[in-house]
Amino acid sequence: MKKIGVNVLKLDALDKVLGASRYGGDYCIPNPLYLKVVRSDKPHAKIVKVELEEALQVKGVERIFTAKDIPGRNRIGIIQKDQPVLALDRVRYVGDPIALVAGETVEATEEASQKIKVTYEELPSIKTPEEALQPFAPPIHEKGNLLVEFNLVKGDIQVGFKEAEVIIENTYTTTWVDHAYLEPDGGVAYWDEEERLVIICPTQNVHYDQREVASFLNLPFERVRIIQSTTGGAFGGRLDITIQCFLALAAFHLKRPVKMVYTREEVFQVISKRHPLKIHYRSGARKDGRLTAVEVDILGDTGAYASYGTTVAIRAAVHATGPYQVPHVKVRSRMAYTNNPWSGAMRGFGVPQIAFAHESQMDLLAQALKMDPLEIRKINALQIGSETATGQVLRASVGIRKTLERIEEWRRKILPSPLDSKRPFIRRGIGIGSMWYGIGNTGMANPSTAQIELSPKGEIILYIGVADIGQGSDTVLLQIASEALGIELKEIQLIRADTFLTTDTGATSASRQTYITGNAILNAIGNLKKKVLQEASSLLNEEEKDLFVEDGLVKHRQKLCLGLPIQEVARRTGKTIRGEGHFDPETTRLDPETGQGSPYATYAFATHLAEVEVDIETGKVKVLRVIACHDVGRAIHPNNVIGQIIGGVAMGVGFALMEEYDPGRTISFVNYLIPTSKDIPEVIPILVEDQEPSGPFGAKGVGEPALIPSAPAILNAIADAIGERIYHLPANLERVLEAVQKAKKED
Amino acid sequence: MIRFVLNGKEIEVEVPPHWTLLRLLREKLGLTGTKEGCGIGECGACTVLLDGLAVNSCLILVPKVEGRRVETVEGLGSRESLHPLQRSFIEHGAVQCGFCTPGMLMSAKALLEKNPKPTREEIKEAISGNLCRCTGYQQIMEAIEAVGK
Repeated sequence: MKKIGVNVLKLDALDKVLGASRYGGDYCIPNPLYLKVVRSDKPHAKIVKVELEEALQVKGVERIFTAKDIPGRNRIGIIQKDQPVLALDRVRYVGDPIALVAGETVEATEEASQKIKVTYEELPSIKTPEEALQPFAPPIHEKGNLLVEFNLVKGDIQVGFKEAEVIIENTYTTTWVDHAYLEPDGGVAYWDEEERLVIICPTQNVHYDQREVASFLNLPFERVRIIQSTTGGAFGGRLDITIQCFLALAAFHLKRPVKMVYTREEVFQVISKRHPLKIHYRSGARKDGRLTAVEVDILGDTGAYASYGTTVAIRAAVHATGPYQVPHVKVRSRMAYTNNPWSGAMRGFGVPQIAFAHESQMDLLAQALKMDPLEIRKINALQIGSETATGQVLRASVGIRKTLERIEEWRRKILPSPLDSKRPFIRRGIGIGSMWYGIGNTGMANPSTAQIELSPKGEIILYIGVADIGQGSDTVLLQIASEALGIELKEIQLIRADTFLTTDTGATSASRQTYITGNAILNAIGNLKKKVLQEASSLLNEEEKDLFVEDGLVKHRQKLCLGLPIQEVARRTGKTIRGEGHFDPETTRLDPETGQGSPYATYAFATHLAEVEVDIETGKVKVLRVIACHDVGRAIHPNNVIGQIIGGVAMGVGFALMEEYDPGRTISFVNYLIPTSKDIPEVIPILVEDQEPSGPFGAKGVGEPALIPSAPAILNAIADAIGERIYHLPANLERVLEAVQKAKKED
Repeated sequence: MIRFVLNGKEIEVEVPPHWTLLRLLREKLGLTGTKEGCGIGECGACTVLLDGLAVNSCLILVPKVEGRRVETVEGLGSRESLHPLQRSFIEHGAVQCGFCTPGMLMSAKALLEKNPKPTREEIKEAISGNLCRCTGYQQIMEAIEAVGK
């Protein structure tokens, strides 16, 4: 192994430090028209009339589009196609797009957008999922307000609670969280010489974008080309369509290049959010700490549109027990439409929310049983041979116990800190949070593809459709190819995330690309080697069975001096030799009644320990240190993995303490606070490499797992510090002070 | 017409007075290394140096730069000869999506110019106006610290 577990130069880093990378808004095209979207200011209304006349008089305005100008299907959505690109007759949230202005300057489009008059007939608006599910609630979509109900049943919940000697029951809530990726969505579109409509913009999945845009314009897929620009963060917010269809519609009609960049205010208003979940959680355990039953009811707010609501409902349910063995489980998970901003995919798909609940419950059980919080987790932790809540038996790479042991070693070094006489208002505490996370999409096919090519010129080219969103998939996937081929990284060209040149690899989401596309690349290289040997056999006049490929050379089993570079094989035969690869993880569909099945081929595990300081006079929480221990299978690029972990902890600090999107109020970073350099703790990352046999060189995934245990550990640490628990995220100043008051009263 | 020194070279440009320095850099001069993350001085992605001090270029109207020195990421180093901060950012894994990177580098440069050996606390303070959503800042701070040593 020469390229695995090594910190090779991150491919994009040089351009990025030079300021030379081109993000969506950095593309300059000659003579563009600029675009601006006009949006609803009503949460729920019928559109009676849209008057464009005055706006069209503005100097520099070229054209204004409405739903009537859409040549194809005016409905988008990853699972349910329920979201119009431009509203035709109805708006469902404040921010729904109604018209698209194209003009010579940004100023002209802005002026015109102010002059478009929309007449509405307001409809009653629904603010909460509970309201949405009332029997006579006005339906937001044709099929009613219940987007999905998913049930998971294992064992007999009644029996489980009968066996329990202690039962803990609580309700936990979380709120909307914004991805707050730093690059506002922006991009360009134009027709190329071959009559293809080209769109360049940030995204997490070029092939999904291509399908949506082509259907929207009623064009064959191949006439739409999506190229991913350098992408300034994503975290799930760029899995849905953002600006692609607007760019497409205008370029389609105007036959001129178009450009648009969202303002930060628009990003806050119209990009999906993390789903607020209300989680009712009841768990039972025996005196020895063994869990006997877990019963959970989850109700989420998907807002005006479905987006990934179904996925989040199911994933939260499947992960509801946490990384523990529980014989009797019952989960109901529902997602309702409201007239709130729409929620979608955000790093963890519902698992960060449910982990806050299951980890709070574990600490409460430990407290009730007078047990060590680490001990109760160790007793219940999944291991090889364990059956999960969906009935899946885990066969390998179950590193949860190891993460707990490593955290225990660290905890021994933390000494109890006596009250500080100079700061008597400070309380210190420590807390643990664990998690598990299924790699890839839940209980469905989620294949990837890859090709590796030897050209007659002697080049080696790897083709993948994967969108690197900054986390480093380009580098890691190239390392996998380099190792498997035995060829230096710099000798392999990478062509990626362009629908014209690459095939579908699925989204950069669900922490899946290293595992799934990594395997597709290995498959492609296996296929390439076979073809190389066939060619080499006739070229060298040797039996194919005597030949093999090693270190990038065709070698002979007996004639040890033979070593023909694989590039030479293509060069000498004058042929392009292309290896085709495919991989789809082994999963089974979940039973629609009981939710039983094997939804993922492998799981990542992690435990964090957080040390906090709480100021009981102001409610301010300072996270001092987080020890973050992750079972990632194999770290292909350890520095990238550590980068994911430290960044994940920071996002976890935001989720735990400060981030709260307030619809209609949040418009900027002034009222949506994300952690700054002053808010973050020292992070000590620890890698546990419990290799996954089905993973590329043993790798699993880390992108989402990095974030998930932080908030639970921090909330448990706050409870440890002040002696009272907070059940609603974020634990902002008010909630902490309220808990401090409550603790005082109880004393 | 305004005149100022941009990355060591004196330049003269015709630009409407209501334009910001950020817009001038990006739209007129083609220097897109400086990023716009919010346009109202909250995220630090557009940080440049004005007479050696880190400023949000989205808040500076062009008449203010008349006769002054402006430095952007493009002037920091070249592909052939990286600035020590650029090299250190790469080595420490301080770059993920990279959108905050140019602004971060400029804030770091301003800090090191007046305080060549900053403490961790001083680094935290110096980059506290530069938001980063990917890295959690730790590797960025390590990168800056390593150059200061």
